Amino acid sequence: MNSTVVHYLSQFQFFHQLLAMMGKEYLPLLSLIIFLLVVLIMLGALSLVGGLGTYAERKISADMQARYGPNRVGPFGLLQFLADGIKMFLKEDTVPRSADRLIFTIAPIFCLAGVFGTIAVLPFSSGFMLTDLNVGIFYLLGVSSLVGIGVFLGGYASNSKWSMLGGMRGASQIISYEIPVTITILAVVMLAGGLSLQTLVNSQGAAIWHWNFLHNPFMFVGFFIFFIGALAETNRAPFDLPEAESELVSGYHTEYSGMRFAFFALAEYIEIFVVCAVATALFLGGYHVPFGFGGEAPLGQVLQVVTFASKTFALYYVVIWVRWTLPRLRVDQLMTLCWKYLTPIALFNLIGTIIWLYLTNGRSIVALIFG
Amino acid sequence: MLARKNIIAILLGIELILNASALNFVAYSKFLAGNMDGQIFSLFIIVVAAAEAAVGLAIVIRFYQINESIHIDDAAQLQG
Amino acid sequence: MFAQILFILSALLAVAGALMVVFSRDIMHACIYLLASLVGVAGLYLTLGADFLAATQLVVYVGGVIILMLFAIMLTGGGREPSEKMKLLMQVPLMGSPRTYVLSFLALLVLSLTVGKLFVRVMEGFTSVDKLPYMGTVDSIGTLLVTKHVLAFEISSVLLLGALVGAAVIARPNKKRGAK
Repeated sequence: MNSTVVHYLSQFQFFHQLLAMMGKEYLPLLSLIIFLLVVLIMLGALSLVGGLGTYAERKISADMQARYGPNRVGPFGLLQFLADGIKMFLKEDTVPRSADRLIFTIAPIFCLAGVFGTIAVLPFSSGFMLTDLNVGIFYLLGVSSLVGIGVFLGGYASNSKWSMLGGMRGASQIISYEIPVTITILAVVMLAGGLSLQTLVNSQGAAIWHWNFLHNPFMFVGFFIFFIGALAETNRAPFDLPEAESELVSGYHTEYSGMRFAFFALAEYIEIFVVCAVATALFLGGYHVPFGFGGEAPLGQVLQVVTFASKTFALYYVVIWVRWTLPRLRVDQLMTLCWKYLTPIALFNLIGTIIWLYLTNGRSIVALIFG
Repeated sequence: MLARKNIIAILLGIELILNASALNFVAYSKFLAGNMDGQIFSLFIIVVAAAEAAVGLAIVIRFYQINESIHIDDAAQLQG
Repeated sequence: MFAQILFILSALLAVAGALMVVFSRDIMHACIYLLASLVGVAGLYLTLGADFLAATQLVVYVGGVIILMLFAIMLTGGGREPSEKMKLLMQVPLMGSPRTYVLSFLALLVLSLTVGKLFVRVMEGFTSVDKLPYMGTVDSIGTLLVTKHVLAFEISSVLLLGALVGAAVIARPNKKRGAK
């Protein structure tokens, strides 16, 4: 089994003791069990992040609007997301009579599968990654396209004109903004020399001037293009027209109630986390601890996870902040922004990175100035 | 029952055919160890299939705008 | 062992998806089953050691072609009405013209002879089930694309440009009805 976390844990004493207890030929079974345990831990942690994301959004928006957020359920209102979850669990599961049953059922599953499939390659630390695929970032792009299909099918299956329009707009927004995001990722991949996420993170250092963000001016612009494109891909922040229709008229998840709607909402909040995690792995230095604390010891791994999580949550805060600050874009402004501004800028970025690589042989601007 | 009359269903069948041939090429590449030509050919099959699906669907949309139907028997103007 | 499980699951998904594409009534369902079949084929690429190709299949097909098909179905009427004007006779399975039968029989003959010959030769030459070290294919594909197959690479870029412009021009809404 080619899993990074199993490979990392296999250098410890307890692993070999366990293996000696079970017998030497049970190595695949033992690695499978450990892998499944780590998968469960990661799924639980990410679902918790998704739930707490709803809570964080309400608290942060309340803070910006000079009011209290939820503060009744649990200390500081922390258990609010549990209360919401229980409420959604207990709601009646309605299916419209003329809706397409098969597609109505699997649309939220596509959204959730697309998001959960990406956590297999997220680089939480150098040892605590589920698997370091050779084509990691490419796989991540492919699997997160399933979310667009889920949005479209959700709009279609509800069999109402408004949700169909919302679904088509949402899906066309997602597939349009995949293009500047993919071109920017291509520029980073060229700089790092590989598609695997470990390679991409290890091409950066720990100090802030070693990050890809400050490597050259094209990477600087690229980070913002990636961030804007990723915001639009998650149907979030100033680009939430498919959902805003749900506030005004209806949207692609209007006919969904109870647990199915919870799937859509959970998928959205976890996708924001995944997108912020990819942004930190690609541009903000990933899991490298500043000043190299901890080293290779397990303490170092824990510090790496903490660093990665703090950078990701800082970006998460920026995402929530942007949503409650900026007004919403119209759909034609959205498409104009993507096709007439972001895509040409991303292409020029790519060409600029190629020229930079050729001229400076991959050194950063700090290395050029300070020798 | 296996003969579909919807043009888009025909395009879905074409995608299946192209995928099957691409899978074949990758299998050949595996059994000639070290020779990557099969995978490169499959890559180009994927590229060509995507381009052909795009153009084919554009034609279908135009056909629908003119004829208001996507039944293959309505595309019989050149027949005869 | 995991390779075998992956192979069985992917093969089942690919074949079942393909069969359901052919046999399903509703075209939206057929698109979903095609998606399942394409994901199964991506899994089969993984068992054959073509990791870059599997990821490409996911990105291009799942993220591009299937969404394109779904949009086209929506823009051409939604596929709600039964789109097959078939008479009662055509509902008997495999009822096609005799020409189809003759051609398919000949193709089956050729195919079975070829496959049988290959099978025999492969079984002779396939002595040991060896665990090849895992080599990523990305580097070798990239090198080959710009050295040995550079002509096909450049021509495919022109092809994609042509497809892009062509599809956009062909599907443009009719402007003659507007104020001109």
